[in-house]
Amino acid sequence: MTLLAVQDLHVEFATRGLDNRLRVAQALNGVSFTVAAGEVVGLVGETGAGKSLTALAAMGLLRPPARIPHGSIRFEGREIIGLSDRELEKIRGRRMAMIVQSPLTSLDPLKRIGDQLVRMQRVHDTAHGAAARTKAEAMLAAVRIPDPARRMRAWPHELSGGMAQRVLIAMALVNDPALIIADEPTTGLDVTVQAQVLDTLRDIVAARNLGALVITHDLGVVAHYCQRVAVMFAGRIVEDGPVREVFSRPSHPYTRALIDSTPGRIAQLGWTVTGGTPPDLYDLPQGCLYRDRCPRAATACLAAPPRIAVSGTHGAACHFAGEAA
Amino acid sequence: MSLGGFLWRRALVALPVLLGILFLTFMLVRIGDQDPVAMLAGPMADAPMLARIRAELMLDQPLLTQFWAYLGRLVQGDLGLSWQGNAPVTQAIADHLPATLELVTLAVGIGALVGVPVGLRAAERPNGWFDQASRFGSLFGFSLPTYWLGLMAIFVFFYLLGWAPAPMGRVSMMVTPPEVLTGSVLLDSLLAGNGEAAWSAAAQLVLPVGCFAIVATAPIIKHTRAIAIEVMGSDYIRYARACGFPRRIIRRIALRAALVPVITFVGSEFTSLLAAASLIEFVFAWGGLGHWGLNAILLGDFAAVQGYVLVLAIASVLVFALVDLVVLLLEPRARA
Repeated sequence: MTLLAVQDLHVEFATRGLDNRLRVAQALNGVSFTVAAGEVVGLVGETGAGKSLTALAAMGLLRPPARIPHGSIRFEGREIIGLSDRELEKIRGRRMAMIVQSPLTSLDPLKRIGDQLVRMQRVHDTAHGAAARTKAEAMLAAVRIPDPARRMRAWPHELSGGMAQRVLIAMALVNDPALIIADEPTTGLDVTVQAQVLDTLRDIVAARNLGALVITHDLGVVAHYCQRVAVMFAGRIVEDGPVREVFSRPSHPYTRALIDSTPGRIAQLGWTVTGGTPPDLYDLPQGCLYRDRCPRAATACLAAPPRIAVSGTHGAACHFAGEAA
Repeated sequence: MSLGGFLWRRALVALPVLLGILFLTFMLVRIGDQDPVAMLAGPMADAPMLARIRAELMLDQPLLTQFWAYLGRLVQGDLGLSWQGNAPVTQAIADHLPATLELVTLAVGIGALVGVPVGLRAAERPNGWFDQASRFGSLFGFSLPTYWLGLMAIFVFFYLLGWAPAPMGRVSMMVTPPEVLTGSVLLDSLLAGNGEAAWSAAAQLVLPVGCFAIVATAPIIKHTRAIAIEVMGSDYIRYARACGFPRRIIRRIALRAALVPVITFVGSEFTSLLAAASLIEFVFAWGGLGHWGLNAILLGDFAAVQGYVLVLAIASVLVFALVDLVVLLLEPRARA
């Protein structure tokens, strides 16, 4: 069952420069993907590709100067775009929960962990009082926090980064949502702690048949924890499909470049990526946005590439996607 | 950390600070070219008389010897003799301090009651019309010199309009002042059930407190706004939105978080206004500690200047200790 369906999503920022002229940055330029129940989808790409923006849009958290000129975000069959704050508040944290990337500064510094978990339930009217406390403690245990009864009384500043990230996962899960959006959930954690936190998240998602969207720039995370992946570049999804397929047959030159720039591959092949910057979002060129950095660029690339199916559900937005690499 | 331990540690830190301030003040008044001896002796004094007075005041001794002797008397509660009026400094402080405390407490109280809500409201919509208006208002309050404000207020409300009573002290001369209990004429009148004196004291308070409150409010607005904007942009407020918390709850989280820095700022504002009170007291002939201290400085009344600065320093130490105590209660991180 499809939980989240993002269709042709565009997001732009209209800002006034010092000369008071209106400048529009086209941050998302037609993003489409779906997340189904029981599925972990990875969203990868470099900084500025629009990954976090996509997540914020899905949560209905965009505020001016960001706006959505075009596109559709359907969650559990319901259009999110245009819903009032009040309606969105009933979805956020209840049906669709977010795990953010700076757990230590994201928890309310003036409230004990247990009280924050209880508040999360009280606000969404899922449980109150003693029942909420019991549930909170059970959630802390479920995310493998040792001695949860004692941790209930801990203040956020007493937690380590990994522990705080587990608390955020508990916060996200405490109201039994259908979809989890994790935005760089392990940035800033030690590698070993990263793996523990992600293992916990994966097990819970699988056990509860949740849908999850994991945003990361780490292809290793995608390879280990996701079933499907969407690769973003300059506000577009350039390739998407089952993780195995995409990794074994990358069909967009950018995906290939990303894979070739993982530490393991660099050790194998040496540095093959020749830098380059993303296109200017204030002045997007016509046609394929990757063509300035693309080794295969040709005259055909002056026209915007359609998504070409490579096999089954695997496709890439490149004119040469069908051909062998 | 226990309350006793907290107070003990504060006292340990405060002691060297006070000693240092005392030392600096002591040296500074003596390094200046004011010669109190000539002033005390009067125009008719001859050289032997000047020398005798100088010896009496120990001013012919080395500075460190003088300081040591001063400290010796200080620990016995003797702050020396004020030459203006020939009264003990401790007595003069006890007489003048309540008037200043009354003025500053009311001004900072009004400043906090007005400034904090205005700053919070301004922060809700940065650059909105309310923010622009309050920013203009606080800039206005910042730019006006206190004494000028006082003089203009007297000119307009006393001289032109005749609404305010004459700016001469804390209670009208036509009224029998109440017996001194708290030192605040208004409170003492109310406690004594003396309606006439209370009314007069309140009327006398309006202009100086009003002027001083304007001075106090401006920075409180500015800082509260900055604190609130910082809190609203923090990770935990963004996360609270992502959790689907309604506005009401997000506002409560933000208020709670802004409370500690706002209280800290209001505390520091209180101590700095205590020192800044001299000019407004001077303009309104308030007869408070600031007015007295200013005179002491102008006259080279060494013991009085030292006492004045010491009182301000002790007040700062006490206020900051109080602020830290409140912070300790509100902020779990401070308790760690």
